[in-house]
Amino acid sequence: MTLQSKRYLIGFLGLLFLASLVLVQAMEIARKREEVGLTSGHVAVPATSKGCVECHGKSSPGIIDHWKFSTHAQKGVGCVECHQAQKGDVDGFTHYGHLIATVVTPKDCGRCHEKETTEFTHSHHAKAGNILASLDNFLAETVEGSRTPFNPHSPTPGKPDIHEVNGMSSAAVGCQQCHGSKVALLAKDGGKITLDDLKPDAKGQPTNLDVLDRIAKTEDGRPKLHADTWPNTGIGRLNLDGSLGSCSACHSRHDFSPRRARQPENCGKCHLGPDHPQKEIYEESKHGVAFRDLRDHMNLNAKDWVLGKDYSQAPTCATCHMSGHSKNGGTITHDPGQRISWTNRPAVSAVLDTDANGKLVTEADPAKRRSLVTFSADEKRTNMKQVCHHCHTPDYVNAFYKQYDDFIVLYNEKFGKPGQAIIAALRKNELLTKTEFDEEIEWTWFYLWHHEGRRARHGASMMAPDYAHWHGMFEVAERFYMQLIPQAREITQHAAESGKGEQAAAVNAVIDEILARPEHKWLDSGKKPATDKPAAR
Amino acid sequence: MNTIKRWFAERLPITGVQLEELTNEPVPAHLRRWWFCLGGTPAYLFVVQIVTGILLAFYYQPSPQTAFESIDTITNQVAFGWYIRGMHKWAATLMIAAVILHQMRVYFTGAYRQPREINWIVGMCLLLCTLVVGFTGYSLVFEQLSFWGATVAANICDTVPYVGVFAKRMLLAGDSYNDNTLSRFFILHAAVLPGLMILLIGIHVAILRLQGVSELRFENEPADAPKHFDFFPDHFYTELIIGLTLMILLSVLATVLPVTLGPKADPLTTPEVIKPEWWFYVSFRWLKLFSGTFAVLSSGFVVFVMFVWPFIDGWIRKHTRFSEASVWIGIVGVFLLVGLTVWEAVVEH
Repeated sequence: MTLQSKRYLIGFLGLLFLASLVLVQAMEIARKREEVGLTSGHVAVPATSKGCVECHGKSSPGIIDHWKFSTHAQKGVGCVECHQAQKGDVDGFTHYGHLIATVVTPKDCGRCHEKETTEFTHSHHAKAGNILASLDNFLAETVEGSRTPFNPHSPTPGKPDIHEVNGMSSAAVGCQQCHGSKVALLAKDGGKITLDDLKPDAKGQPTNLDVLDRIAKTEDGRPKLHADTWPNTGIGRLNLDGSLGSCSACHSRHDFSPRRARQPENCGKCHLGPDHPQKEIYEESKHGVAFRDLRDHMNLNAKDWVLGKDYSQAPTCATCHMSGHSKNGGTITHDPGQRISWTNRPAVSAVLDTDANGKLVTEADPAKRRSLVTFSADEKRTNMKQVCHHCHTPDYVNAFYKQYDDFIVLYNEKFGKPGQAIIAALRKNELLTKTEFDEEIEWTWFYLWHHEGRRARHGASMMAPDYAHWHGMFEVAERFYMQLIPQAREITQHAAESGKGEQAAAVNAVIDEILARPEHKWLDSGKKPATDKPAAR
Repeated sequence: MNTIKRWFAERLPITGVQLEELTNEPVPAHLRRWWFCLGGTPAYLFVVQIVTGILLAFYYQPSPQTAFESIDTITNQVAFGWYIRGMHKWAATLMIAAVILHQMRVYFTGAYRQPREINWIVGMCLLLCTLVVGFTGYSLVFEQLSFWGATVAANICDTVPYVGVFAKRMLLAGDSYNDNTLSRFFILHAAVLPGLMILLIGIHVAILRLQGVSELRFENEPADAPKHFDFFPDHFYTELIIGLTLMILLSVLATVLPVTLGPKADPLTTPEVIKPEWWFYVSFRWLKLFSGTFAVLSSGFVVFVMFVWPFIDGWIRKHTRFSEASVWIGIVGVFLLVGLTVWEAVVEH
């Protein structure tokens, strides 16, 4: 090769090398854009899902676009991997050659995410569907709605096809969208076929095969889901395969974004409102204030998002209750209860000692209690303190917990237990009907503990002074002294007047004993004549 | 311009002509053929390794608690970190391949023979340094396979009679993998071995310059063809072309086959399959074929024979009629090398 040829070759190779550096720069820019969420990463469409992506890319492009931004897409986890059904699954149907099901349950997610699914299944979140037989549900299904459909009482102009009122709709779009529905297949007679009918085995397949013939199907053989129960992403959903919960409650489908699950807005779908405004409480706290200011520096796209390593600017709901941190080796839990030491859900807060089944231990005898507890509230508090210690000294954290404990005990002893005792006395003496919410005092009591009492306690637990006081204890006190006590007295007065003097006396004795306690004595102090004071000149 | 020239001339007592004479040594004509330039290739890649290695060392944290995470940070967060790490990894792979090819070329052309025996031994030292620097570099990643690879290597050391236990302790900084092991690997990888290699490369090149490059003639070459050509600019251009080609190749490899990160090392979970990097496949397969001590001692014997081969070859050529024995032994050696490597690559266990 001549020298001149070598020179040309060097020039050409030099340009080629520069071009490769330009390519590298372009890749770096693309990586950064992906890191800040401006573009999706490399998408690997598995062969089994190619047809789904092509077809749904036209018919429901949003789904495909969401999926393209997911880690699943980057790792080659496609539509079939999650939606696949097994032969014998009650909701399975063949769709363009693939046996699939519409509803993806924790059992499906657990095929790959076994640890996360196990943790979640043990959590209180997974059992949120238990509300279906609770006081709250009675409110939605009966008081707000109607458990049986009824006829409209006058026409709705423009909607001539309304012949029946679905009384369950308040429960379906309200309670069940957070707590989870009992997913049902539509029966040929219009009824519901749920896991209670199917009696699924450990694999999630029905053992009661008699009901299969009752399932209504589309022309192409797809089992129909009952519209009262689906769509639903409630966190405690009761699925047809017997599994509890819905992973997409937090990890929205179809992008399954860890970034979103780390932010308080995600929890705010359910944890807000008058009865448990945790999101608003958090926003009022210094933690929430810091998050709003510093969220751009929170490294929310980090792979593991470990507190003390990937970020430390502010905690979110996920930080304190679920995420990994530098003091526990970055271990994430999908059971938020592992770091909670009081349950402030009931009328009277309880120490969250749990048994082997994860249930609250209510045993009062210390020895028996110790034998039942497998995961103590102290251990849970230690778990939470590890998170706190990233930014606060042990003395600071211990003093916070002293303030919190004192507040909960104050609520319990001054209002929670007394209120409960008064309502119990009224019921015991049959001065209330057996039907809930048909008397004013039942609403009053519900407001006191379920709304205002929880607001106060949650406000204290997450350092939101306004919720602890003005939206909390102030309203609790007002409800107790100005409504609950007067209404109870009124009931006993009516009872005494209608020949139930003994029962009225029994309830009054309970009220009198409560109001005679030192913490309530202030109430009557102004009504007594001031005999020992000198007369004003 | 003249003022600047004069300023430098007053302070650096060397003229342009002297500089040209110093650098412009006549280069043997056979070096016009590209495949004879393999000696410069590993040296060039060594420079790439030093530059990229320094950049990686800005972020790497050599402790079991932080090593894996720091590499994850380099790969996924640091600007161009993935590219620099990719270049470092691929340059290491190419450097080992280039060293082996260079040594094969020297062997099969007999360029190690008298009076170049010492340079062959220096080259052997460089080969071993390259392999060890590759091993320590891979161990620094602290992923499952690299951790267990290092553990297996330490256990292999342990099988050597008398000195094995000491060698293992020296390698791991203790009886087993511990908090100081990675620091030791890092110091070896980033300071001791590169320093030693710079010294050896200096000696290697100095001896080369003192003795000159061994000259080869080809049968189809005209008798009157020039025996030499100029280093500058002719050979310099050739080396520049090789360098640019290597840089393009590294860029392509780093982008098309980006370097990955396996699961983090877990000392409590032994992987089902443990494999070293490809350049140790041959030893690994050999170790699997024979009992531990025999395999280690026989490997050591082979390395010893390679070190003293110029003297063995000289004796064979002088005292026997098998003057071309080295070629046939070399062919058998290459077949063994390639065969055992491929064998290890294709089988799972």
